Amino acid sequence: MSSEQPEFIQPPDTLKDKVDVTAGGVDLDALEKAEALIAGLQGDYLSWVEGDLEKLQEFYKAAEAAEPADRREKLRDVFSVAHDVKGQGGSFNYHLMTTIGNQLCRFIEKLPEQVSRGQMEVVKVHIDALRLVIAQRLEGDGGRAGSNLVRGLDAVINKVKPAEEG
Amino acid sequence: MIGFDGGQLKVLLVEDNEHFRRLIRTVLQALGITDVREEADGGAGLAALAAYPADLVIVDYRMTPMDGLEFTRRLRREPGRANPYVPVLMVTGYTEPKLVAQARDAGVNEFLAKPISAKMLLSRIVQVLQTPRAFVSASDYFGPDRRRRQTPIAHPERRRCDEA
Repeated sequence: MSSEQPEFIQPPDTLKDKVDVTAGGVDLDALEKAEALIAGLQGDYLSWVEGDLEKLQEFYKAAEAAEPADRREKLRDVFSVAHDVKGQGGSFNYHLMTTIGNQLCRFIEKLPEQVSRGQMEVVKVHIDALRLVIAQRLEGDGGRAGSNLVRGLDAVINKVKPAEEG
Repeated sequence: MIGFDGGQLKVLLVEDNEHFRRLIRTVLQALGITDVREEADGGAGLAALAAYPADLVIVDYRMTPMDGLEFTRRLRREPGRANPYVPVLMVTGYTEPKLVAQARDAGVNEFLAKPISAKMLLSRIVQVLQTPRAFVSASDYFGPDRRRRQTPIAHPERRRCDEA
């Protein structure tokens, strides 16, 4: 599929025959139906996110028990689950899960090889915050409680930078 | 009424998180797209394409053992692939410019950032369907034309080679 000179190819367009999309392209009825179906999944989300929160706790404990030099490697598991939590929360109107999950991922990404107790504590408060959001059903931006929570986490991160010396 | 009828579309969904697969499948069903094949990593996705003539592939970026980038590269470039032109929509929680560039270079058509909404997913699908892109075949790239717009060059003479 390569040649010395770049070649432009018009792929066979079989989709036009299969899909009816008129100008503007969005069927509002279908969209409303889709949004309603996602909203209908919220109960299931709350159940499966509990599983994610348990995994976060479990992986955190494993990292906490490890030597400082091994913690960063162990926290990869925390990152992986937090990344899923971040990617799903907003779809179910739990935007705080996305915000806090993202903040936790960014913090873990920047950790040095030796992870200090203080840095582990930052990870822990983020996991606790995620649990709080679900326990208190803080949907949307969580209102005043949500803002306080995010402000508190920002303050903790500013106090214990991810790149501090362990 | 603006129309979207995806009843005849075949969609391959390659995503390792079963909850996320369920979310996307739910949205697709609401759009009338019921013929959806699901696989949990890039290798299984490539194997599925040998027998499943997908019209659209929705692929996650981060999967093991084969991620969405490698999946797309191999889908586009390996000889003998059933449909190297199939549109690929990458769904990802990573939106850093470096990843976006890597995905474009692998041959991804469009991106969708997680968390997704029904509206965003539908708009990306419509975009892929309504604006099919020409493919470029070059020594180091095979995939959709990466130039989004054909912008006129302000001073074309500057690009000419000087004749000795």
